[in-house]
Amino acid sequence: MTYMTPKFVFSPAEQAVLKEKLFTLLEQKGVRMDHAAVVEILAGAGANVDGATKMVRFPRKLLEDLIGKIPKQVLLAARDPRFDLEIPRADGGFYVRTGTGAPGFLDPEDGEYHRTRIRDVATWAKLVGSLDHINFCAFPSPVDVPGKTADIHALREMLTYCPKHIWIQPYSGESIPYLFQLAELAAGGAAELGKRPLVSFITCSLTPLDYKYMDLEVIVQACRRGVPIHACSLPSAGGTAPVTMAGTVLLAAAEVMVLLAVAQAIQPGTPGIATPLIFSMDMLTGRSLQSSTEAIQGAAAAVNFIKTSFDIPVHTYGYGADSPDIDGQAQSERSLLSLMVALAGSDILGGAGQVEVATAISPLQLIVDNDLAGMVQQLRAGLSLSDETLAWNDLLNLQPGGHFLNNDHTLMHCRSAFKGRTFVRQSRETWLKKGQVDFLAKAKDIYDEIMAGEHAGLISQEVGQEMAGLVQTADRQLGV
Amino acid sequence: MSILNELAKSIEEGKLQEIKEQVSHALAEGLSAEEILEKGLMQGMDVVGKRFAAEDMFIPEVMLSARTMHEALLVLRPLLEQGDQNVKMKGKVLLGTVEGDIHDIGKSLVEMMFVANGFEVVDIGENISPQAFVDAIKEHKPDVVGLSALLTTTMPAMARTVEAISAAGLRDDGRLKVIVGGAPVTEEFAREINADYYGENALDGVEVVKQALAG
Ligand code: B12
Repeated sequence: MTYMTPKFVFSPAEQAVLKEKLFTLLEQKGVRMDHAAVVEILAGAGANVDGATKMVRFPRKLLEDLIGKIPKQVLLAARDPRFDLEIPRADGGFYVRTGTGAPGFLDPEDGEYHRTRIRDVATWAKLVGSLDHINFCAFPSPVDVPGKTADIHALREMLTYCPKHIWIQPYSGESIPYLFQLAELAAGGAAELGKRPLVSFITCSLTPLDYKYMDLEVIVQACRRGVPIHACSLPSAGGTAPVTMAGTVLLAAAEVMVLLAVAQAIQPGTPGIATPLIFSMDMLTGRSLQSSTEAIQGAAAAVNFIKTSFDIPVHTYGYGADSPDIDGQAQSERSLLSLMVALAGSDILGGAGQVEVATAISPLQLIVDNDLAGMVQQLRAGLSLSDETLAWNDLLNLQPGGHFLNNDHTLMHCRSAFKGRTFVRQSRETWLKKGQVDFLAKAKDIYDEIMAGEHAGLISQEVGQEMAGLVQTADRQLGV
Repeated sequence: MSILNELAKSIEEGKLQEIKEQVSHALAEGLSAEEILEKGLMQGMDVVGKRFAAEDMFIPEVMLSARTMHEALLVLRPLLEQGDQNVKMKGKVLLGTVEGDIHDIGKSLVEMMFVANGFEVVDIGENISPQAFVDAIKEHKPDVVGLSALLTTTMPAMARTVEAISAAGLRDDGRLKVIVGGAPVTEEFAREINADYYGENALDGVEVVKQALAG
């Protein structure tokens, strides 16, 4: 019997079909864009534009040319250069980003669920700075600051406490200039930000095939400054996209490629990361799901298709749960999701720490995800094979029976097994005797340890004052 | 099966092609428009609602039933409007997503559930300013206005909208009911901003409104 390669992504022949359809869809059907300046640039580049309907159609040759200009490598720089991220990762692995935009917070301090506050944003930033396998940070959505400037307040907190790269999700078009200005202040100027982009922005399609002003404006402004974009599509299979996942993958890929192409039309060489974020609608209740069997399959298929067909960096959810709590279900969901998308070749696994379909985050979950990320990183890399890893000499000198405990080879490698800090691997008896400490209790210990540590702000007093002034101006100008 | 039972079954099964003819046939048999609606079509819709709540019917199937109801009403509505006004449609609902917010999937589901339950629905879209809500209410004269918000950052706009509706005097006689919903919205928030009702999900919203209009 022959063993069949597991088919969890589309085959090369299927990908060729998908690619054809992607170009056909964008050439024949096109997309709608609500941004006159961007539409004009595209028209100038050779797109077919219908001014009345705002429909933009991409001749195949044009789209191929624009896609050809997308950089194959992207730098996501960090406040602390030790945390710079070069994509793709040299070892073929992935980077991990935290959940974004969550208005709900599962607080380890009191074990309660509450709305995210600005101090929780700071907590989040500090945790990310201390967790080895969490590589960059998105901010949750605080409610105890003015709604119209919540993103601006949150970013200031991030820039103050997070030594790693920051992904910015704006909540409205009006806040975009302030978000860029804050980043420039932290970077030490616009030119510095362009050279070492400490932040990157998300821009989203409005599935199906629609593009809002805000998202296109993000691209315009990012292009001007050389800041990387995560080009997102968030289809919901059965809701805003075909109920059959293949169709949803095609639609998401097409929408993402349009965003990236727009950036290249505005400013060739603008770094961009293809980010299909796949949901399925629960056809019984209408809820958006990110860890249903189909959504996981869709995420894996979408990143794999884009990466193999266009050879550009890709990003999708690797963590997240449909469960509203950090329970057993949440752990199964994120394990299945992260493994599948990592094997499918995603350069970035997003959503660490999030539950309840991206509407809540949990510091304890983030600490568990840190371990899961380390495990999956190693699982993805596979076993290495050499005389050393075979312990070839030991095997040749082996006496039947006996053990390896005393071998130099064992001594040399005994520390190399992956060690997460949260998993419990005791016998029932030991576990009972030691107070039934489970993985979440261990995560809480780690949380306490991190929070008790030193977390000096990363911003000088002078820059801090400038930032505070800018946030105040934003509050005033945006009519708080 | 009686004619009325058959009509109910057709709604439940979404017999979109056949329903108009069945309604005409029932009228020809001497049944009144009121009877056909109340004892036939609405009975079918009740079953649909119950089966959906019990997770025994899928959304596209409910949508098909709603469309079938809509078809049937094309025949019945002129007759009902001439009638003695004992029987009316369940009510008119005006729906929109508040200013600054473009999330519309939840609102579409809410619309579906209202239509499926015999309400007339006017969907005025997304990113709707308080003033535009006020204008639309004046134009369409709904019994119920439903506001949707998916962002914590647009919940203040929801509050402003309720305020504007009150300030325009549209709630003075107490007939217009305001219901709010959306993932971050809670019962408590609804009370705080002086809305009449809160709906946790589409089904819940319809139940709350049904009870309110009946009571
Ligand atoms: C899909 C999605 C999008 C799509 C929307 C597509 C569309 N056509 O609607 C896109 C990609 C365009 C989008 C954009 C944005 N989004 Co969005 N989005 C989501 C997502 C993943 C799912 C929402 C959804 O469709 N749910 C399914 C429906 C069926 O559920 P529902 O809307 O809750 O509706 C049910 C009930 O709430 C209720 N209900 C709803 N309305 C009403 C009304 C009444 C009267 C009643 C009775 C009941 C009721 O009944 C419905 C059915 O049962 C959520 C996360 C989530 N899990 O909610 C984020 C989410 C809501 N988005 C978020 C954000 C931040 C944004 C953006 C700002 C991001 C950006 N920079 O692009 C923009 C917003 C732009 C704007 N101005 O509005 C945040 C909100 C954070 C916050 N502060 O609250 C969330 C939580 C994700 C996150 N963690 O970042 N988004």
